[in-house]
Amino acid sequence: MTPRKDLLTIESLSTEEIHAILDSATEMKAAFLRDGEQLPNLHGRSVLTLFYEPSTRTRSSFELAARRLGADVTTFTVATSSVVKGESVHDTIDTLMSMKVDYIIVRHKNSGIPAVIGRHCKAAVVNAGDGAHAHPSQAFLDAFTIREKYGTVAGKRIVIIGDILHSRVARSTSNILRRLGAEVAYMGPGPLVPPTAHTGIPRFTDWDAVFEWKPDVIYLLRVQNERIDTPFFPAADYHRSFGVTEERLQRIADLDLSIMHPGPVNRGVELCDAAMDYRNCLVCNQVQNGVVARMAILNHLTPATL
Amino acid sequence: MNHTYIKNATWAPNGAAYDFRLSLGGCGSTPCIDGLPLTGVDAIAPAGTMDIPAGATSVIDATGKLILPALFDLHAKVEIDGRNKREAISRAGQAAQQGGVWGMVIMPTKGFVFDNAASLDFFRHAVTNRSVTEMMPAGCITMGCEGEQQAPYNTLAARGVNILSDGEHVPSNLLMLHRAMKYAAELGLTFAIRGDVPALTEKTYAHPSTTSYRLGLHGTPACAEEIGIETVLRLAADAGAKVHIQTVSTAEGVEIIRRAKASGKVKVTAEVALHHLLYTHEAIGDYDTTFKVIPPLRDAADRDALLAGVKDGTIDCIVSDHTPCIPFAKKQDFISAPQGMTALDFYLPTLYTELVKPGKLTWAELVRACCTAPAAIAAPSDDEGLPAAIPLLLFDPAETVTVSADNLPSGTLNTPLLGKAVCGGVTLPL
Repeated sequence: MTPRKDLLTIESLSTEEIHAILDSATEMKAAFLRDGEQLPNLHGRSVLTLFYEPSTRTRSSFELAARRLGADVTTFTVATSSVVKGESVHDTIDTLMSMKVDYIIVRHKNSGIPAVIGRHCKAAVVNAGDGAHAHPSQAFLDAFTIREKYGTVAGKRIVIIGDILHSRVARSTSNILRRLGAEVAYMGPGPLVPPTAHTGIPRFTDWDAVFEWKPDVIYLLRVQNERIDTPFFPAADYHRSFGVTEERLQRIADLDLSIMHPGPVNRGVELCDAAMDYRNCLVCNQVQNGVVARMAILNHLTPATL
Repeated sequence: MNHTYIKNATWAPNGAAYDFRLSLGGCGSTPCIDGLPLTGVDAIAPAGTMDIPAGATSVIDATGKLILPALFDLHAKVEIDGRNKREAISRAGQAAQQGGVWGMVIMPTKGFVFDNAASLDFFRHAVTNRSVTEMMPAGCITMGCEGEQQAPYNTLAARGVNILSDGEHVPSNLLMLHRAMKYAAELGLTFAIRGDVPALTEKTYAHPSTTSYRLGLHGTPACAEEIGIETVLRLAADAGAKVHIQTVSTAEGVEIIRRAKASGKVKVTAEVALHHLLYTHEAIGDYDTTFKVIPPLRDAADRDALLAGVKDGTIDCIVSDHTPCIPFAKKQDFISAPQGMTALDFYLPTLYTELVKPGKLTWAELVRACCTAPAAIAAPSDDEGLPAAIPLLLFDPAETVTVSADNLPSGTLNTPLLGKAVCGGVTLPL
């Protein structure tokens, strides 16, 4: 495998690399579960998290992953930085590179920013979410969680439910799952699910069609009202139309399906309360696997600073 | 008197060969071919029949070359953000001349706000002193192109303005626009407006397609353009104003204009940007900001309908929509980067290489769409007349040029031609 500098999208990876990262995540998990064990892989390296959008979970997960690999971690807080004074992304990156950063974990509301940064600097750039484009580390933790649960991803059926249009998770996770041989379908409010002609992914409009399709995993996306200025659908309808209600939870339990969600969950919107306690609700597994998947990702990349 | 002779040049629109006698300063009468008055020519004869004196010092043998009227561009911008305005005018003029363009209409931009006499005077002075190409400013529809308060149309018209446009902006206040049209109709001014409903296209960056989905870019619905065109046409019909629809990008947009022309109820002309005839949304690839344009690049069916519209005359003209952007601006991410690409530097060679050479457009159609029709729309008269005269250019289809930073006088690099070869050498002026 040729050394890879940046992780920007799932599309950009070879299938061999995807498998290699997932395999290494398995090893990382064993180490992670041994309390307090720190691996030496990134010893002496400097990792910087640069989040232009609010995030606690993804950022903490990356920071924990970097520390477990022995790296120094710096948090660049955009809200109190020169960025609010109008500094361009290019100039921010030049400043950071002068501080000899080896890895930059970036999140931004604009699709495509991590690629611009990756081209511009020698540090390894990890896309921690850019607009509605990609969220590859989420894709890895999702694929890893399904593989852990079922032994394989190939042949599984996953339906992703919710706001597909604005979701980088839907794009990256469907991408990795299909690359690994799974089948993916989408369901959600009409204006928020792009046509199959654009996505190549079958599109359902109601739960009956979803159950008929015989999925293994029900993957719910968070309703991101904070991203939407003009509503795409009447919010009051969401739970009744697309959420996991008590009744649907019963059906899911009867069929022994799994539930996944990238978090944070809006209780009573995507999921009823009881769904969070359902035996096959994998939400907490996803969070834990997030750390190990991110350890595997950091370990896989080779900054040009070395 | 010392004349320049051009022997055996092929008149591009009809393929016949002629000899030409040129005289600087003109001689009073201006000869015509196909009804086109030709500047700087004082005699025309069928090839081989012109009497060329033995002592003539300046004789060009144009065998194998084409002669045609130089092009007129109805839609260009000259401003280069952050650079000197006079230099920007000078560069655009050089780029246009290299591309075979003798004159163009310049759209208002942030730095060139043509809503008052002083800014028009500054512009005209700079053009006279710095530009090798004729440039006619389009006056603003609204003060500052902000969409609310009407610009002083009579003041602008007195400074030679014939076309009104808010540039990239489309007025959304229909009451203002309706009243403006009623008023300006009596001044004989033409409203150049793009079909758009800003509320539907705000924060959108690409045609809704596989590309917009793959890149996570919000899609610009075609219906916004179509509703916008219908709206402008109905306002203009009611107000009796002349309207010119800018940069049509959708198949249905062409169809709406076709129906409006057939109805005869509205004085409408329309244009398409060259890039919409050449590229589709797939060209964006992995966020190539060169291909970020407004309206966005659409799909192949739209592109084909636009070309068909040019061929049947529904779309009167092809325009450059030349928009220079400094390299740093286009190095930003796709959402932050400014829209637009440059086209003037190799305008005629691109038209030839991509459309005429592959047989998609005839020379006669090209001359209509890129010279006579746009020049007539921009003409100062109310009678659809052509400007007093149109200069000629020589075109050598056998020449090939590789586009590089060294041969782009517009001075910016935001062109998809960079590194590519185009066919055709332009000689202008003769």
